[in-house]
Amino acid sequence: MISTSLMDEFRSIVGNEWFLDTPEDLATYSYDGFLPEFRPDAVIVPGKTDEISKIMGVANRERVNIIPRGAGTNISGTSVARKGGVIMAFHRMNKILEIDPENMCAVVQPGVVNADLQKEVARYGLMYPPDPASMYVSTIGGNVALNAGGPRGVKYGATKDYLLGLKVVLPSGDLIKTGGKTFKNVSGYDLTRLMCGSEGTLGIFTEITVRLVPLPPAKATLQAIYSDLDDAAKTVSAIIGSGIVPTTLELIDRVVLDVIRDYGGAEFSRKAEALLLIEVDGEEVSVLTQGERIEKFCREKGAIEVQRATSPDEAEKLWQARRSAFGAVASVRPSCVVEDATVPVKRLPDIIRKILELSDKYRVQIGILAHAGDGNLHPIFMTDLRDKEEMARIDKAMEEMYEAAISMGGTLSGEHGIGIAKDRFMPMEFTGTAIELMRRIKRVFDPNNILNPGSFL
Amino acid sequence: MIPKSIAEEFDQCIKCGLCQATCPVFKDLLLEKFNPRGKIQLARYYSQGKLDLSDHYRDIFAKCLLCGACVVTCPSGVDLNKVFVSMREEITTKRGLHPKMEEVVRSLLVNHNISDEDNAERGGWRDFLKDLPEHMYQKDRAEVVYFVGCVASFFPMAQTIPQNLVRILESADVDFTILAGEEWCCGFPLIGAGVPEKAREMAEHNLAKVRELGAKKVVFSCPSCYRTWHEYYETDLELFHSTQLIERLIKDGAIRLGEVKATVTYHDPCDLGRNGGVYDAPRQILKSIPGITLVELENNRAQSVCCGGGGNLEMVDSGLTGTVAQNKIEEIKRTGAKTVVTSCQQCIRTIKGRARRQKADLTVYEITELVLQAISRG
Repeated sequence: MISTSLMDEFRSIVGNEWFLDTPEDLATYSYDGFLPEFRPDAVIVPGKTDEISKIMGVANRERVNIIPRGAGTNISGTSVARKGGVIMAFHRMNKILEIDPENMCAVVQPGVVNADLQKEVARYGLMYPPDPASMYVSTIGGNVALNAGGPRGVKYGATKDYLLGLKVVLPSGDLIKTGGKTFKNVSGYDLTRLMCGSEGTLGIFTEITVRLVPLPPAKATLQAIYSDLDDAAKTVSAIIGSGIVPTTLELIDRVVLDVIRDYGGAEFSRKAEALLLIEVDGEEVSVLTQGERIEKFCREKGAIEVQRATSPDEAEKLWQARRSAFGAVASVRPSCVVEDATVPVKRLPDIIRKILELSDKYRVQIGILAHAGDGNLHPIFMTDLRDKEEMARIDKAMEEMYEAAISMGGTLSGEHGIGIAKDRFMPMEFTGTAIELMRRIKRVFDPNNILNPGSFL
Repeated sequence: MIPKSIAEEFDQCIKCGLCQATCPVFKDLLLEKFNPRGKIQLARYYSQGKLDLSDHYRDIFAKCLLCGACVVTCPSGVDLNKVFVSMREEITTKRGLHPKMEEVVRSLLVNHNISDEDNAERGGWRDFLKDLPEHMYQKDRAEVVYFVGCVASFFPMAQTIPQNLVRILESADVDFTILAGEEWCCGFPLIGAGVPEKAREMAEHNLAKVRELGAKKVVFSCPSCYRTWHEYYETDLELFHSTQLIERLIKDGAIRLGEVKATVTYHDPCDLGRNGGVYDAPRQILKSIPGITLVELENNRAQSVCCGGGGNLEMVDSGLTGTVAQNKIEEIKRTGAKTVVTSCQQCIRTIKGRARRQKADLTVYEITELVLQAISRG
């Protein structure tokens, strides 16, 4: 608990309006997109860097936990007060400070919504590539904290590939600057990259410089349906092996396809075992040829149906299945847990088969969406949180799934983060020495362990 | 007690937070309690006994336009509107009316309309019409009843709507009548104020009056009346919004439209579009008028952003309504059109009122006004 006088001290920094401690406010900052809820002691909504420095100074002195939170859309429990403390929310710091087309970069405050940045830079013929599914609400600060990816990741990579520089308030209240506007920068340790994906445990980002790329003038969108999952996997290998780098290569498995069909999201053959949604972007001419070649690969590898969009409207129709997938799956049962196991691309069919096996073994309903082009899987466990017995089975299935993914050379998380969702699995991926090293890094930045304690470390 | 059917709605929420992308209130107020996801959490906490209802609760749930943007955004298909309306009812039952809604509810119960005037004045908008027919649009029997609605009946800025619509219906020889003093509020503001049982009394009265006239059809110029009849009145009467009836009259050749040269954009009223399912009729009408070029808003049809006038919000926080309206005007300006057409008296009041205060170079038309102009040139 935080003393009244301390509350007043925080209040005096941001003003009454932006320090919240009513039961209603605490209830609404007790969750993010993951499952467990923890009631914070208070919520603070700073408006500028200087306020953040003061808040951190007080918090560090008084050993008050601070948990940074963007839009609270992460699904790894990274922005909840697991050990109590104060949620620091960035709603007010939502300004795009600069768009610099000549240097192909932008400088933003942490609370800027990803899609708002996309929209602004598009006016300059530019694009900010990371496109997490939450992009219409999630913030750049949150994206950096979780090193967010997205469907365009196959071609463009994730947040870390576009992060050039940061201003960071450390737990001590000191402000540091890392990186800058240059694409090349090898001075010292790469603190910018260290911050990226640090899940709010090392520092508070107050200014973020991101790299932009030219907005591609054209794209081609294709959908292929397979009666055999292996044929879909072979198509993925064929495309990647051919030297074409698609922007998007999404796979939907039978379980999800059936749910989408029942939900009325889209229609496809009852024989469908897998669906691939493929998109390439670039200059018009090359996009056209690539589209034709991909269509050929799909047919050669045994697709029972291939559609190539000839207009933006048609492309939008092809995206409909993928876009309605999550909602369709979410409506099946009261809760759903979206997982994030990732394997080297070639092992995709193996991990999918493993998951189907686990689904039978533990009698749990699992649908699979995958960013097939980069081996990033999103198995979705359809369940009811209140059913303890079923949740226990899911936990076992998950554990075996992650063991399999790691044995295939993969990772616990491709783009969602560890948080409190998968901290218990960390020893599967890292040796004790590696984990201890991470803990020591954390202690260097945050000796009093006040920043998002109880998260993945 | 929150009914089980409502609890099922919020149990379906997976807290993904995508609703904040489209909530006009959250975009201004920024705090999670004003996010639809936050309100769902508060409904859940109340229903589970984790939190008691408070004045703070009432304030939070009152700051909602009931516009339904969150409903179409929600990937899990949660009917958030249903939860929010139900919470308003629960809060009113347990803690009394919102102080800023007391006056209007009192007036509704006494006068059966949202203004403070005698309901006998409901037909007052006719006083300004020239060449008024002898029956003054009040017949003993008619095929169609035109349900004018409170705002268009009493508020001068909106009275042009019935004045225009009756002219249009007349020109197409539609056999219609109004209820005048026998028309009571549809009940929509009472539902928004958390007293739906009072709305039921209104519904029964209105249905009985329509039945007395032997009418088979009811036409509404107010989208919220239209929606309320659809959702809360159990009736097999045929219900039309004015745009649907006008579209049909144009198709049947009963109305001839001349040229009106203008580039316009169209604002979908929440209760007509997203909550009423009527998107095409107004667009068809605009297409039928020679000389009109329609430029769509960035967010149109189901994605249309509320003007700020929904959900009784204006009574509670007119400043917030103003901010939402300002955002709407900015969106309209970005289309390049200098004229916005809509088909709702409340949207007209909100958008026109704000545009005037800002001295914005914007003409705001209710669609009947444009149709009547086109008829006069036909």
